Amino acid sequence: MTHLLECKDLHVKYGGVHALRGISLHVDEGEIVTIIGANGAGKSTLLNAISAIVPISSGEILYEGQPLPRKAHQVVARGIAQVPEGRQVFANLTVKDNLKIGAFLRRDAQGVAADLERVYRIFPRLRERENQYAGSLSGGEQQMLVIGRGLMSHPRLMLMDEPSLGLAPMLVQEIFKVIREINREGTTLLLVEQNAHKALAIAHRAYVLETGEIIREGYGQDLLKDPAVQEAYLGARRTARQK
Amino acid sequence: MILQQIVNGISIGAVYALIAVGYSLVYSVLNFSNFAHGDVLMLGAYIGFFSLMLLKVPFPLAIAMAMVGAGIIAMIIEKIAYRPLRLRRAPLLYFMISAMGMSIFLQNFTIVTIGPNFRTYPDIFPVKPFAVGNLSIGRLDLVILIATVIVLLLLTWLVYKTRIGIAIQAAAYNMRVASLMGINPDLIATLVFLLAGASAGIGGVLFGMKYTVYPWMGVLTIKAFVAAVVGGLGSLPGAVVGAFVLGITETFAAAYISSAFRDLFSYLLMTIIIVARPAGLMGTVAQEKA
Repeated sequence: MTHLLECKDLHVKYGGVHALRGISLHVDEGEIVTIIGANGAGKSTLLNAISAIVPISSGEILYEGQPLPRKAHQVVARGIAQVPEGRQVFANLTVKDNLKIGAFLRRDAQGVAADLERVYRIFPRLRERENQYAGSLSGGEQQMLVIGRGLMSHPRLMLMDEPSLGLAPMLVQEIFKVIREINREGTTLLLVEQNAHKALAIAHRAYVLETGEIIREGYGQDLLKDPAVQEAYLGARRTARQK
Repeated sequence: MILQQIVNGISIGAVYALIAVGYSLVYSVLNFSNFAHGDVLMLGAYIGFFSLMLLKVPFPLAIAMAMVGAGIIAMIIEKIAYRPLRLRRAPLLYFMISAMGMSIFLQNFTIVTIGPNFRTYPDIFPVKPFAVGNLSIGRLDLVILIATVIVLLLLTWLVYKTRIGIAIQAAAYNMRVASLMGINPDLIATLVFLLAGASAGIGGVLFGMKYTVYPWMGVLTIKAFVAAVVGGLGSLPGAVVGAFVLGITETFAAAYISSAFRDLFSYLLMTIIIVARPAGLMGTVAQEKA
């Protein structure tokens, strides 16, 4: 069976750093796959390599069995959207224009209008603020906007980079709820997260990345119970000591 | 008298505005100052001149040909002088050097092929100015102002209201994230140079009509660059405001102090603005650009 996305022995080197050292992973249609790991493990580099923002040194990235193009805009055209880390909105544009620019490559006006409605249904706050400049939104609203903007291209596969980073606990809950909902509505997700607990809880499968290498993989639920993963990424020891 | 100076200042400011928007547009997206912009203006002035003199086309068509011609030339310059650097992620300094090289090449190429002599546009509009009360308004100045307003309105509509314009703004804010939206950076660069070139083309014709046409006339656009910096490099409204502020400052300096001090005041204005407000009058404080 061909996977929706498959990375084979992927290496990325840049600026003298060997950031990815032979990553092999796959994502199947309909899944939520998460990649957990510490800061600097190479999680963002992996997503950026798939999005063709950073060049790959060796290895292959296959999408529906075919090599992915190596220009970022062509990757988007194939149906892969990225929600970049750190709420990178276009601060100089209104909320609505940010969302419209997410649908830049689409020619079906009706489909775009329907997806705009869908984004506004998922995030009613964005509708309220549609004519405000994105730079004036709060951090949480900006995160909603970048997720909404990613949805506007109607991707088959969405790459999400740390969607919960720096958000208040209540918002984190809401964002994870939305991630599940997006997946249930048919979008396949590759999710990079520092919040390993929450990410593993919603993921079908997961990979653990450490200094550019995959050191463990498995079902989300299994990794949650894996003592090594618990110790390194879920803060199990600290919880035990507190008890 | 004061009113007359303001009228004169607006007239020169209008030409500066046409040129300054080109500097600003390119800077906003690609983060470097295209110092070959003045030479695109010079070529536009020649295209307009020869269209009128050799092809004997009507004036509006001559302007259209200058805009199209200069736009295409600017696109070609981007392709050969800047794109290879961009694809290699070269430091911004290299772009400046490449721009200066391109500028020297274009000037000398023009001297060798067309010749170093000064050429004067024919008088298309009666030289006799309008008299409104005590004011005298040159007919050419009026044409310049109207043409500038039309071009700036078109440009504003294009950048702020159309899909592709919004893509240009997104790319100006963050090219990397824009490419994640499916926006092709090469396409945006081409488009931005086309727009900047076309406005330099009409600017060249108007400049040529007001003064003369010669191979190194592009040097004069350094004033328009000053206007763009005063207004806030990268901001289109800023470029326009800066151009009129500079135009009026210059005419006042020339009229009330000494025309020899005119340029002194232009650069003094720029220095004061840069020191007091590094982002310019309307520029946003450097977001993620250095």
